Amino acid sequence: MRILVVGGGCGGTILANNLARRLANEIRSRKVRITMLSASDKHMYQPGLLYVAFGQMMPDELYRDQLSLLEPTIEFHVDPVEQFHLDQNRVTTKSGRTHEYDVMVIATGSRIVPEEVPGLVEGSETFYSEAAAVKMFKRLREFEGGRVAIVVGVPHKCPIAPVEVTFSLHDYFKTRGIRDKVHIKYHYPIGRIHTIENVAKWAKPEFDRIGIEYETLFNVKEVDVENQVVKSEEGTETEYDLLISIPPHRGMPVIERDQMGDGGWIPTDRYKLTMEGHDNVYVLGDTTNLPVSKTGSAAHFEAEVVAENISSIIKIGTPVRDYDGKVYCFIEAGHDRATYAMFNYENPPDLKAPNKSMHWFKMSYNKMYWTSVRGLL
Amino acid sequence: MTAQTESPQTAKTVDPGELAHELEQLSELATLVLSARDALSDDIVSRVAQALSEGITLLDRLTRNEGLMRLLQVLDTPESQHLLHGLSTALAKMSRDIAISPPAKGGLVGVAKLAMEPGTQEGLRSLSLLGKYWSDSMRELHRTGGN
Amino acid sequence: MSDFKTIDARDTFCPGPLMELISYMKTAQVGDTLELLSTDNGTASDVPEWIDKVGHEMISSEKIDDVWHLKVRKLK
Repeated sequence: MRILVVGGGCGGTILANNLARRLANEIRSRKVRITMLSASDKHMYQPGLLYVAFGQMMPDELYRDQLSLLEPTIEFHVDPVEQFHLDQNRVTTKSGRTHEYDVMVIATGSRIVPEEVPGLVEGSETFYSEAAAVKMFKRLREFEGGRVAIVVGVPHKCPIAPVEVTFSLHDYFKTRGIRDKVHIKYHYPIGRIHTIENVAKWAKPEFDRIGIEYETLFNVKEVDVENQVVKSEEGTETEYDLLISIPPHRGMPVIERDQMGDGGWIPTDRYKLTMEGHDNVYVLGDTTNLPVSKTGSAAHFEAEVVAENISSIIKIGTPVRDYDGKVYCFIEAGHDRATYAMFNYENPPDLKAPNKSMHWFKMSYNKMYWTSVRGLL
Repeated sequence: MTAQTESPQTAKTVDPGELAHELEQLSELATLVLSARDALSDDIVSRVAQALSEGITLLDRLTRNEGLMRLLQVLDTPESQHLLHGLSTALAKMSRDIAISPPAKGGLVGVAKLAMEPGTQEGLRSLSLLGKYWSDSMRELHRTGGN
Repeated sequence: MSDFKTIDARDTFCPGPLMELISYMKTAQVGDTLELLSTDNGTASDVPEWIDKVGHEMISSEKIDDVWHLKVRKLK
């Protein structure tokens, strides 16, 4: 049985390690082989980028060697897939090699596409890549006051990021003693200030209390860089001195190129996590078209289900459980306090009052992540 | 109502002094927790979490390493512990002897001279026996795939 | 040629039905029809409000067996 894992991010790594643990005997007796193909030999802890943008983490803290995170029985190649041949159960890679599989898991993730909004690349700061986060921090340090606007592209990774970055901006300018010289305005694509109703209910009075203006139903259409104005699809506009953006995202180009899903998102069964029309292909994390948050935690819980099912299919010939839509999100609420939202297909998120202990749990998780991707926590 | 249940009328009244003492102890405990909370920083929490997290990873590796577990079993016997002690003592003595003896001149005569010594002969015999048993174990490893 | 696509946003709390519709609207072509399925009652008012504000066309909105079916057409 040849298991091919395409993508070495959070979901792919947890899945491969979890499988290697479950199938240790089968791998040793050479009945099963796990191969991982990734675009990089490094693994990045992406939630750390927000801390880099505020000078609270250094970029080198975000990386580990991918090989050091994998079970030694997993065959790892830095050789991304260039073409999927789903009808022939094989892929071809950048180096020209062919990998055949019996079961494949696609976990190629998503990428930012700020270029799809005219002016967004030149006109805004963001924290969705290492270089951008460092640049954003330098810009924040130089900022002495004025109008800060936060705009949000759709779809985007980490749905809580717009609220978190807004609280962090408030804290940052307050600590520097220039909060009274900064006017912060938050813009959100739908009719309330966050898509999770309970988060919106909690954040709105918080925004009012700390003096953050907000505009809803604002989908960023273009940025007039010269005149420093950001315009919405809905016909409104906001002037700014510093524009912070959560850029829109897409799936990987290879998915669109091979016509496996519009926007690079693969149509996926919401319970079985198999690719529509292909029972031996599973899809994880950001890569799916599921109406589930694009976060590491969704990828994590999905990876556990897929690993358990692939393993049980090998051992007893049938999958054992469904994905219930579980997502767990930390929410940094500013002022060294945090809370969390947990939900699934059945149960809406309930929100507890933010506190310091949850903030420390998040701080701890920033380090525990490496234990988590190894398939331990 | 069972015999063990006390009615409110017969319940022992709480001594105010005792209550005050208990409250004081509770407040002491709360102060301790709060002071620990205030003393901690993001950095400390991160470092402790990292140490614990890496510790768990290490523990996981150690406990799942069958070779190491078997080695620990072998090392549990007094004989193995004695041998290990003997080996480390021998290594320490050897390194000291090498440090104080003049550099070897080389050549067949030197080898012949060394070979005449009973210690060398004993050593060679031990090494050849070690080689014999080790190669048996290696053959076994490749025959069974380590199972 | 215009396309018809169904977006299954039933039982979802984040990113939520309207956010799903906005995502799909971006990759759709002008003239395409999108049908949004939602179990969230708020959707019935949120979607027409957005469609109206941004300038697309609301085709129909009906509730069948506790599921809202909202059809919209992309106009720009």
